[in-house]
Order: sequence, then C-alpha cells, then structure tokens
Amino acid sequence: MSEVILEVKDLATEFDTEQGVARALDDISFEVKAGETLGIVGESGCGKSVTALSILRLLPKPAGNIVSGEVIFKGQDLIRLPADDMHNIRGNRIAMIFQEPMTALNPVYRISRQLNETLALHNPEMNKAEINEASINMLKRVGIPAPERRMKEYPHQLSGGMRQRVMIAIALLCKPEILIADEPTTALDVTIQAQILQLLKDLQKETGMAIIFITHDLGVIAELCDRVVVMYGGRIIEQADILTLFDKPRHPYTRGLLNAIPRLDKSSKEVLSTIPGMVPSLFDFLPGCRFQNRCDYVQEQCTQDIPVLESDSDGHQVRCFRFRELLS
Amino acid sequence: MTQYFIRRLLLIVPTFIGITILVFVITRFVPGGPIERMIAEAQQASMQTGGMSQSVGSSIGAATLDEDQIRQLEEYYGFDKPVLVSYWDWLVKVVHLDLGESTRYSDPVWDTIKDRLPVSAFYGIMTMFITYFISIPLGYMKAVRHNSHFDHASSIVVFVGYAIPSYVVGIILLVVFASNLEWFPMGGFYGDEFEDMDSKLEQVADIFYHAALPLLAYVAGSFAVMTFMMKNSLMDNLAADYVRTAIAKGMPFKQAITRHAMRNSLIPIATHFGNNISVIIGGSFLIEKIFNINGLGLLGYESIVERDYPIVLGVLVISAILQLFGNILSDICVAAVDPRVQFR
Ligand SMILES: Nc1ncnc2c1ncn2[C@@H]1O[C@H](COP(=O)(O)OP(=O)(O)OP(=O)(O)O)[C@@H](O)[C@H]1O
Ligand SMILES: [Mg+2]
Repeated sequence: MSEVILEVKDLATEFDTEQGVARALDDISFEVKAGETLGIVGESGCGKSVTALSILRLLPKPAGNIVSGEVIFKGQDLIRLPADDMHNIRGNRIAMIFQEPMTALNPVYRISRQLNETLALHNPEMNKAEINEASINMLKRVGIPAPERRMKEYPHQLSGGMRQRVMIAIALLCKPEILIADEPTTALDVTIQAQILQLLKDLQKETGMAIIFITHDLGVIAELCDRVVVMYGGRIIEQADILTLFDKPRHPYTRGLLNAIPRLDKSSKEVLSTIPGMVPSLFDFLPGCRFQNRCDYVQEQCTQDIPVLESDSDGHQVRCFRFRELLS
Repeated sequence: MTQYFIRRLLLIVPTFIGITILVFVITRFVPGGPIERMIAEAQQASMQTGGMSQSVGSSIGAATLDEDQIRQLEEYYGFDKPVLVSYWDWLVKVVHLDLGESTRYSDPVWDTIKDRLPVSAFYGIMTMFITYFISIPLGYMKAVRHNSHFDHASSIVVFVGYAIPSYVVGIILLVVFASNLEWFPMGGFYGDEFEDMDSKLEQVADIFYHAALPLLAYVAGSFAVMTFMMKNSLMDNLAADYVRTAIAKGMPFKQAITRHAMRNSLIPIATHFGNNISVIIGGSFLIEKIFNINGLGLLGYESIVERDYPIVLGVLVISAILQLFGNILSDICVAAVDPRVQFR
C-alpha cells in the first residue's frame, strides 16, 4: 500500500458564538494515502467543511479555533506550523476548491491575475511570460475553450461551471500533493457536475495527487472514492473502503443513508426510506451518541456514554454500541 | 460606455431647467423681494431725513416711491412679465454666459461668484483630500483590528466628531486656539500683509495658517461617515469567500487584504465621491460665517436673506452644474473600480 501523506489525529474544533462555545468537530481521525481519493460524506451541517478548513487553518477568525489534535503532513504538524511555513504549503502542496464557485473568485480582477498570482507566490524564479503561459496551459487542461481570451475576462463573464473550472485550474497550478475539494459540484447543474467529476478523475490520473472529496451525495462517492469517512454531528461514525461500506454498512446512520438512495434495480413499489427527524443544532445534542434521537435501535447506554470508534482488522471503523448485534 | 456618458451629459439639460425653474418661480412668490426692499430702504431714508418727529405710518411707503417708480423697477427686474416669460429671458442670458447683475451691488453676478469660487474650491478640495486621507487608512486599521482597544478608542473620537455639529466644533476651535491661545488667526482667507509678501511660498503658508481651524471644523464633520463606511465595507469584504480563496492560494493575510479586499471596499467610497464634490464646494455657510471666509456658501446665504435673486440664481446655477457633473464623475469612478458595472 502507498504511504500515508496526511494524518489527522483527534482533531477538535470549536466556534465561539453568541450562544456560547459550539464544538463543531470532535475526535476526528483519518488518514490520506498518496494518490488515493478519500470521500467525506454526511448531511448538511455535520462538519465536512469545518474539517477541510481546519486542515488548512482557514477557519474564520477569531470565531473558529482548533482546540486539540494534530494534522501531520509528511511528518510536520500543520496545526503548530509557523504562519510563514503554512503560506508555503497552502496552494502549493495542499490546495483547496470551495463549495461556491460564484463567490470564490475576486469580482474586480481578471482571471489572468487570479491564476498568475498563485504561481508568482510559490515560484519566485518564474518570469511573467512563463507564468502567463503556464496559466493558459492550465486553463486548457481543465477544459476551458479559448483560454487566451478567457484570461482577459472577469469572473462575472463566466458561467458557474466555467468558474469552478477556473478554481480547479488555480488549485492545480502548483501541482499539489493533496487537493481538498469541498462539494465542488453541489452548486452546479447535473451535466456540468458529471463533467467536473470526470475532469478531476483525469487530472488525478495525470498528476498522482491525493484528493479529499467532500460531498453529501453517496452516488458521487461511489463513482470517485477509494475510501469513505461518514460524519454525523461533528464526529466520524464510520470509515471503510468503498466496497465494504456499500456492501456491509455497519452504522444505523450509514444504512439509512444507503437506503435513501433511489436505485433502478429495486422495484418502484418499494418505498424509498428516509431517515426520520433532523440533525439537532450543535447546542441541542444530548449526551451520549449524537444519532440517538433518530436511531431505531437506541437503548439506554446510547443516551449516557459516547461510543468509541472501533476498528476491525480490515480497518473498517464504526462508532456504535450495537453494531455487532445488528450485523447478525 | 461613451454613448452612456453622452446620454448622461444630455440629461443634464432637462435636470438643470427643472432645478432652476423651481427656484425661479419660488423667488416670485416669496415675500420681501427687491422692490419691497427698496421701498423699505426709501422709507428708512426718508425717516432719517425727516427726523424722528414724523410719525411712522403706513402712508410713508407710498409717499417715498410713487407708482411710476415702482413700475419702472418692476420692468427693470422683469417682474412685469409672466413668470415663464421672464424665466425664458433669464435662461437665454445664462446660455450666453450672462448671469445678470446683483441687485445689491449692481456688480455682474459672475464677477461676484468668480471672486468666491477659488476660496470655496480651495476649502472643498482640501477638506475632501484630508477626509479621504484620514478615513481610508483609519477605516482600514479599525477593520483589521476590529474590537481592539485601538478600535474602541478611535470610535469614541469618531462618534464625538460626528455628534457635535461642525459649526460648534468651529466655534470651540475659534475660542480655544484663536482667541485664548492665539495660535491661529481669528478668520479670513489670508492675512493683511498677504499682498506685500515676497515669495509665493510665504503666501501659501499664510493661506494654510488661516485655513487650519476651518479645515479642522470641516473635516470633523465629514470624516466620521466616511471612516465607518470604509470600516464596514472592508469588514464585509474580509469575510468574503474570495479573500479565503486568496489565503488558500498561499497568500499571507495582510497581502490578501491589501491586494484583494481593499479594492472591493473602495467601491462604496467611489460612489460617494462625486456627490461630495458639490456638497463640499458649496461649503457650509455657518463655518464660513464663523471664520469670516468669503465663500459661495456665505454668499448664497446672504443673497437669500437680502433677496438678491440674481446672485441666488447664479449660485444655484454653479452648484447645480457641479452636482450634475459630480454625479457623472461618481459613475466614472465606480466604473473604474468595479468591472461588473457596465454602462449602456
Ligand atoms: N463561522 C461559524 N460560526 C459558528 N458556527 C459555525 C461556523 N461555521 C460552521 N459552523 C457550524 O459548524 C457546523 C458544521 O458546519 P459545516 O459548514 O462544516 O457543515 P457541512 O458539513 O460542510 O455542511 P454543508 O453540506 O451544508 O456544507 C454547523 O453546525 C455550523 O453551524
Ligand atoms: Mg460545507
């Protein structure tokens, strides 16, 4: 198996809000291996974006704070890295694309400037002409027609799909070892979505980078990922390789998610199941398992203790007191 | 774009006519016009010559100016014709750059305004320059250090400056620094020895020496709004997604502010730019009065009180034109900083 390049250990992140301190992430641990695609999946508000932002230390200041844990990237702990060293890693060795392509680009600058400045930041030895050429080539590679002309345009002159391609181009300019993609297709329509996913796959094959792909769509996970982390209420509740997860889901929440996907091979008379109830807000979680109020198998222990994330010999991890009984 | 501005320039014409016609009509119906003034003056004159023995009666007015004289005056001022006809006569003259003559001094209106314009322009442009020079960096620092001691302390100063009317600031400054401490002159645009000074440098220094206190009063009144506008606008932009993108690219936070957030924050400031020009050149007659500065604001105010309509209309013409061009200038500024704005 290839080497681990990113290791997140016991990460916890809190937000200072007017209602008090909200623990948005708790006890988050996972690994990313070189060249693989790790999926992070979960409902809206479960902490997927906060996980991504915590890794790159991009949390909104001063509200968001990492309160404990480590993020080990090739032997260095990013959480404790001096700011200057962090600048060399962001955009250069770990890059990120965001959920919202419409607002992620600066509206008052041309596309050319927004691409070129990334290269200029990390490659002081390149001259302007070289930088410009590299940017144009990158736009070509992400499938933007007439890139020379697009370089001279402003973000508002581009469609959402085009803007997300520009964001991907910016992220890939410095050939990062890890790309964090936070729901890069959620804001786009379905055909564009498929194109962007295909593009990411192709680019990964070319460059060998690892991808952390964040989504709430298990269909996208199935298409793209090698391994999956399932999050609920700021915690990881299950983690497995893709086949295991889809074949033998262990956590009641994961099973619920999988049953909620419409499938062609099931007869249409079977009722599509949903998970009843809603995710409580960060302040309304009860002690114990955070999924208790929506779980069919809840028992007394679930309301008192927090289950630990248990791992079997294959690395299939699950956070549930009753998963063994439920298997049989 | 050029087409848009040509259209904007053409639109000036009807707007200008609208503004001036309104004021012209008002001057007709407000009591105490120039003729009534003359009657009153003649009254006073006859009272003084006639001595105190003559009792003050209503018949005196008629006695001092007879019907004929009044009719002559009405003809002179164009009051004998219908409003719109005399407005037309006035407008035709204005188009030929003739603003008429002052009823008080019988000087050409344009000459009177021309004397005051450089004074007002000096104060207006200096105030605007200093206001931007203080507000933009101060707003920037307040946004970057939001909620710090510096932010709170400067907010107090800004609010005090905002809460006290600028003429009160003017009076306080005058009393403390000119009257008590005698650090600055009591007023005027320049000193008595101005004409005799040898070098231009000395003259410029003298103007600034006289301008220090009034400028402070002007700036105190205008920098609060601008500072908060800058701060809020920058705060909004600091939280914007594209700033996070810039940092995710590997840009240090400071650079992300100066290179990305600043330009966007200047958009609302640019929108205000043109409006400020006209307001500021128009001046504040109260500050001009306190510091005895012969600017347009004071001239306009005095002319209204004295019912010197040709001057009132003349000042109006100048400030309306400044306002209208200021608006176009605003549009140009906004288009210059925001590429999304397109004029068609
Ligand atoms: N700036 C903030 N201040 C306070 N709470 C925040 C802030 N940002 C996020 N949170 C909280 O952290 C939790 C996780 O949010 P996050 O954005 O990571 O969700 P997500 O899984 O990415 O959801 P989505 O699918 O909607 O993007 C939410 O409960 C949210 O309310
Ligand atoms: Mg999110």
